[in-house]
Amino acid sequence: MAITERPSSLPPAAPTPPWHRRSVRNQLFQGAYLIATALVIVYVINALNLREFGFGFLGDPAGFAVPNQWLIDYDGVTNSRFVMYLVAIWASIRVMLVAIAFATIIGVLVGVARLSSNWLLARMAMLFVEIFRNTPLLVQIVLWYAILIVAIPPIGEVFNIGNAYYLSNRGIAIPWPVPDPGWWNAANWLVWVWVALLAAAGGAAWWVRRGRIARERDTGQPHYPNRWAFSLFAVAALVTFIALGAPVSIDKPIIEGTHYLEGMIITPEFAALVLGLSAYTASFIAEIVRAGIQALPTGQSEAANAIGLTGYQRLTVIILPQALRQIIPSITNQYLNINKNSSLASAVLFADLFFVAGVFQNKTGRALEMFVLIIVTYMLISLLISAVMNVINARVTTHRV
Amino acid sequence: MTRLKYLRRTALLGLAAIIGALALVACSDDAQQQQVADAGDVPSATLAAVEERGELLCGVKQTQPLFGFREEDGSVVGFDIEFCKAIAAAVGDDIDVRYIDASDAATRFTLLASAQIDVLIRTTTITASRDADLKVDFAQTTFFTGQGFAVHADSGISSTADMNGATICVQTGTTTEQNLADHFTDLGYSYTPLGGTSPEIQEAFLQRRCDVFTADQSDLASRVSNFDNPANYRVLGQIISKEPLAPGVRDNDSEWKDVVNWVVHGLIAAEEMGITSGNVGAMAANPPNTTVARLLGVAFEGGEVANLGFGVDPQFIQRAIAAVGNYGEIYARTVGDAVPRACTLNALAIDDSVDCPAGTGGIQYAMPYR
Repeated sequence: MAITERPSSLPPAAPTPPWHRRSVRNQLFQGAYLIATALVIVYVINALNLREFGFGFLGDPAGFAVPNQWLIDYDGVTNSRFVMYLVAIWASIRVMLVAIAFATIIGVLVGVARLSSNWLLARMAMLFVEIFRNTPLLVQIVLWYAILIVAIPPIGEVFNIGNAYYLSNRGIAIPWPVPDPGWWNAANWLVWVWVALLAAAGGAAWWVRRGRIARERDTGQPHYPNRWAFSLFAVAALVTFIALGAPVSIDKPIIEGTHYLEGMIITPEFAALVLGLSAYTASFIAEIVRAGIQALPTGQSEAANAIGLTGYQRLTVIILPQALRQIIPSITNQYLNINKNSSLASAVLFADLFFVAGVFQNKTGRALEMFVLIIVTYMLISLLISAVMNVINARVTTHRV
Repeated sequence: MTRLKYLRRTALLGLAAIIGALALVACSDDAQQQQVADAGDVPSATLAAVEERGELLCGVKQTQPLFGFREEDGSVVGFDIEFCKAIAAAVGDDIDVRYIDASDAATRFTLLASAQIDVLIRTTTITASRDADLKVDFAQTTFFTGQGFAVHADSGISSTADMNGATICVQTGTTTEQNLADHFTDLGYSYTPLGGTSPEIQEAFLQRRCDVFTADQSDLASRVSNFDNPANYRVLGQIISKEPLAPGVRDNDSEWKDVVNWVVHGLIAAEEMGITSGNVGAMAANPPNTTVARLLGVAFEGGEVANLGFGVDPQFIQRAIAAVGNYGEIYARTVGDAVPRACTLNALAIDDSVDCPAGTGGIQYAMPYR
């Protein structure tokens, strides 16, 4: 182009040095970065002395015990460390599932309450959020535990409600249904009859749901397809179950000496951990819910009011379905935090996977292997939670409004 | 340059860097093996480090009264602490002790393996698996005890036979945890363990969250003596294991292990020979016999000074005695009557009713220093 053409009277330009070219500079920087990274890796590999790296020690007997977990019976003396680790993972997952359920329910309620026109309710919700999200989770969990084991009477002075419900610092014991092992086995033809009946009920429920969806579409009136389908299935399952002899006994807890037998036992350690995780996470979820609702244009609420919906209908039919699109990705992060924060369990003597892995490390000196295992385990659980939440998210975002 | 060429060149560069890195790993592996092969000839790394630093890094417990306990004024006192002082004095008069908190049983061996401490003196039991897996070597036992049980006096529990189904507080990462599992398997009993650090489980026990508190019997005795109402608790006579508590040092540093080992033996020998912190000066100036002279590293009646060659000068045991006194003095000053000494010497008699007969002599004696 004419504008870049040099006047012939000037001397010829000196050649540009190669490092003035951007592509050369970029390669130099990248090369230096790669070499530095490689050197760090070399250093770490050397320092760790990976020649002994291996997971064979997980096959050896654990040699110690942790409290038995619901649905799993094992003994630490003969079972391998690997089995014990699985038991500990199950303990962690139970905490996570219960904490996720509680945190979601409390979080949504508090988040909605913060926007309430009731001054007292809104302020109480605000107080909840500010207290629980502004103090360290570890402190909260330890405080819950201290409250639980100090305030609740020892087993000698147990609260006994009708010889069925007990409360002491050994935990809460409540009756729990236990399937009759004599009935529940594959050789019993009645089991297969029930399975067949359940399948039939499921098919019927699906058919009813489809019909109601069609009618809803045709008439514009609500016909509650999911509610009907679910109720139908539940009633059918229950009726056929009772008709076939109801092979479930209710296990009432009893006290023998200083411990509970039978029933469902919720230990103070489990309770403190779940309370701490739920309240802490709920305070964040409440803010996410509030933000999600407030992000909607006010026209949505006004329109709902204009067509005469009640406050409850406005929330469940207009506001929440739209707000959920904003809310779910952020709530997923909170669920992942519950997963990671559950590793604070050992502060309240709860034998979760981090606690058990720590004992293994201490007993075998296999720090590196155990940390690799811990990281992989938490990562897998996180990815699992993310996968489930992505499915839910996809359903919500394609929901017809 | 086209984008493709540019990418290709970057990829080549990366490959070269990785190959270079691998080559480096291979080279340094050889160097490392060489180093291991030479390790037998080099003087003790730990001893040299202590001398150069002028400070002994002693990993101690700070939560167990009588053995290793941090007072409100910040000072650390107890039976184990005295051995830290003795070892520092043995290395040299100008060596100070720095106490590193190794209260958490779960991380104590990591502290040692990563050289954050020179010696671990923290009511640690000698076991084969620790020796094999944890890169630790044990010196002479300083305290013989066994695993016992503390209960609330009104609980009606008098031995493990009464503990079927009990909730038992146990310190995580200890030999205690394993003994407990073994013992209850043998009994065919079930129990619910409640594991944690010792302050955590002590609190749980006081709140009756657990029925039984299990630990070394000496540990339990010292704890109960410090509770608000010692009469409300009982330490059972039953012992279910041998727990020889000994100082730990890093693997493959035999010269340093020798120093630690012979300081302990030396303090026990001093008690046997009647050498105390009070008379050690006089004994060194005028040793009554060759054995005492050899122990104190002094000449007997104008003869030669015996130097057994531990990498420290021959007077190292003399300095240790001068600093903290002999084994009996240490015991009386720190543990005292809280754990009758006869009981600690009786741990080999493992049965349901160890009643600690006085003056049995026990199993603690020094190896001959010659």
